Amino acid sequence: MARFEVSQAIEETASPPAAVAQPRAALTRSLIGGLVTSLPVLVVGLLILNFAPTYYTYLALGAFVNLIVVVGLQVFMGNSNIANLGHSAFVGLGAYGVAILSTPLAMKKLSIPNAPFGFATLQLDPVSSALIALIMVGIVAAVSGKVISRLSGVAATIVSLALLIIVHSVFLNWTNLFKGNQAFFGIPKVVGLPWMMVFSVVVIVLARLFKDSRWGLQLRASAQSPQAAAALGIDARRLRLMSWVLSALICGLAGVLYAYFAGTISPKLFYFQMIFNTLAMLILGGMATVTGAVTGVIVLSVGLEFIRSIESGVTIAGIQLPQLLGLSGVALGVVIVLCMAFRPSGISGRYELDELLSRLFRRNAK
Amino acid sequence: MLSVDNLVVRYGAVSAVRDLSLKVGRGELVALLGPNGAGKSSTINALTGLVTPASGRIVLDGQDISRVRTEDRIRAGLTSTPEGRHIFANLTVGENLRLGAAIRRDPKGVRQDIERFLALFPVLSERYGQAAGTLSGGEQQMLAIARSLMSRPKLLLLDEPSLGLAPKIVVQIFDFIGELKAEGLTLLVVEQNARQALRFADRVYVVSAGTLRHSGPPSSLADEHGLFNLYIGG
Amino acid sequence: MDYALQQLLNALAFGAEYSLVALGLAVVFSIMGLVNFAHGEIIGVSAYSVFLAAALGLTSPIVAVLLAVAAAALAAVAFERVAFRPVRYAPTTTGLLTAFGVSIVVQNLFMLLISPKPQSVSILNGLNQMWFFGPFAVSSLQVMELIVSGLTILALVLFLNRSTLGLAIRAASRDFATVRLMGIKANRVIATAFAISGALAGIAAVFIIARRGSVSPDLGFSLVLKAFVACVIGGFGSLAGAAAGGMLLGFIEVGLLVALPQEYGGFKDALTYVIIVALLVYRPEGLLGQRVELGDKEI
Repeated sequence: MARFEVSQAIEETASPPAAVAQPRAALTRSLIGGLVTSLPVLVVGLLILNFAPTYYTYLALGAFVNLIVVVGLQVFMGNSNIANLGHSAFVGLGAYGVAILSTPLAMKKLSIPNAPFGFATLQLDPVSSALIALIMVGIVAAVSGKVISRLSGVAATIVSLALLIIVHSVFLNWTNLFKGNQAFFGIPKVVGLPWMMVFSVVVIVLARLFKDSRWGLQLRASAQSPQAAAALGIDARRLRLMSWVLSALICGLAGVLYAYFAGTISPKLFYFQMIFNTLAMLILGGMATVTGAVTGVIVLSVGLEFIRSIESGVTIAGIQLPQLLGLSGVALGVVIVLCMAFRPSGISGRYELDELLSRLFRRNAK
Repeated sequence: MLSVDNLVVRYGAVSAVRDLSLKVGRGELVALLGPNGAGKSSTINALTGLVTPASGRIVLDGQDISRVRTEDRIRAGLTSTPEGRHIFANLTVGENLRLGAAIRRDPKGVRQDIERFLALFPVLSERYGQAAGTLSGGEQQMLAIARSLMSRPKLLLLDEPSLGLAPKIVVQIFDFIGELKAEGLTLLVVEQNARQALRFADRVYVVSAGTLRHSGPPSSLADEHGLFNLYIGG
Repeated sequence: MDYALQQLLNALAFGAEYSLVALGLAVVFSIMGLVNFAHGEIIGVSAYSVFLAAALGLTSPIVAVLLAVAAAALAAVAFERVAFRPVRYAPTTTGLLTAFGVSIVVQNLFMLLISPKPQSVSILNGLNQMWFFGPFAVSSLQVMELIVSGLTILALVLFLNRSTLGLAIRAASRDFATVRLMGIKANRVIATAFAISGALAGIAAVFIIARRGSVSPDLGFSLVLKAFVACVIGGFGSLAGAAAGGMLLGFIEVGLLVALPQEYGGFKDALTYVIIVALLVYRPEGLLGQRVELGDKEI
């Protein structure tokens, strides 16, 4: 058994077109790969932008935020193979960061008149707000990452959860700054679908570049075989920290974008429900690849919307079904359990979309 | 007693054992020799069921056990002392022996057997209440064999009993193995240390690269000098 | 003096409850490396069984207690059989995520089949009284919690040290393959470990129901998160570590309750976790943990 795993590990780390001989060629290839992977996202986005009614545009914006979160999650989980159950804390930090910095003063007078550090009388433009919020996310990520990267896999996961609870608890209880349990409204709505698509593509390409980079490869190798990697002089801690921070920044960006399109946020948005949703998406799609993250979001966003329509009570053939609260939760859980039992590598498995396409092409050419 | 036909063990794409057949008769001590990575341990693990063979038949006392779970093979009278001893380091010496007898339902007999082994190995008696992890390598090997015998097996598989032990201890271990054979136990001993294994062996199989290269009485190895050196050395 | 004693009892009782739940997690983790996020839902199943039995006319608190423990043990074994067996030999992350999925499913089933709102259960309220020892007033529930937890842990220790199955569980925590070489059925060892883990959760459930007087879908979830943290500070997989970690957590929480001014009380949980994470910076392997050698579990 043990031997089997090792041989598999070697196979897996060897299979991606890693940066070996020609770094420039590998970089180009990785870049193109990322762009190919983001094609489906662009197509779906453009279709919705041009043809769909407003309601669907709103749904699509939510799905794009999830996409960015899931890609961010993939950057850490997919490469380090450590479950992260706290990433929505960073989404929340990003969202609250821009909310506090960019909300118009008139609105702040209503919502957080007693904010400390002069935030009640501060209003920045959306771009600087976003940058500062991301810097804050980066700082929190660096500090928490210092701890998490030192721990073994299980303990790291538990600490990621602890981080979520700490952040959530601060949102709830530091009412002067975060407005507690109530909705924080009045954030400038400056992001629409086009910007969301641009950032999605950027994030997908970024995740792909990291995965194929020297660091990504070393991190994946050390996740497969820690001792062998350590023997090669790979510093797994530093790499875990690096991927943790990158992952957090991407999640933070998702939060920023969410706040800028929804205009209203509240703490419960960035708690376990988001963890459940995005984790199920990543697992269903396959966490080893960026393609998996994209696939999972597309499939589960559609599936969940369908289930939610049943959940809220539908009329089928003249019969009004009752509200079935919890149905979508059950479905998410079942997706996770079944995936883990029957296809732990998810829908897309080990290969990225471009790798699959080129394999297919090569096979046909033969 | 034991007959193995056309055993194949694969790990992914790698074949560890290819088409291996062997027989062990009642009361025999059979040695399975070969260099590192020859597929000896894979054979043993296939016999105990810890790895599932890709194909082949394993028959114990006329009963096909190829698809039987490990636990039930032990209950059927086949036991193995794994390579590297694998004593339960966090349990005491006494607890290790008691676990060895887990399938038995005669507490009195179990107690008698424990006393017999303690008399046989006074070291184990001294260390009875200590964690087994504190024993020396040789003592651990004694404990591991005693633990296997606690289930009163018909057939004992010994995987590399000499591994990592000082030469003097190895001689002691094999003296004990010789005694077990004299008492009528059937044994299949897997070894790299051919000299020791051949002291009491009735018959010898030589494997290398997962394939059977030679079988016959111990004397046949001496005849084919080249073979002896090639596959076994020293 | 009275106040100090009361807070000490508080800390011990909280700690005892965390220890019970953490021990349940550690028993399962130590033998099969499963990080059982669905442990809280075992508590949930236990609590909802009592709720349903009471709704159907059960009035005897003793039967309710037995039911709570039995239902939890059964639920744990059932979870293993249905969800965890297929991923038994899979990597830790796979098992962890499976358990997380089971947790989501069961929590939402409570919502779907019973109600998303808390449901009142008064059958065990009798356990929660005030006892007077001379000048001291103490909560009967806390005293019982302490005593019962102590006895349960003692029973667990005896079982693990005396019975063959207990020895097998301890041995399996290091080397499962060799336990099977002793002719001991793997399924039986694992089912026993889950039953123990469930029973411990069931005992905790009794105290939770008695204290809250109600059940809700997320009843066990936050408790189990704390128990996980207890396991991590104790050293994951170490039984003694889980018990010690649970106690430590109880003392940290009560200490914070005492030390924090009223208006900052909401930050108790956040600060508890911050303290623990800070502890981990100094001892990443936990208080009683040891670095696990990779390859220990290989065949």
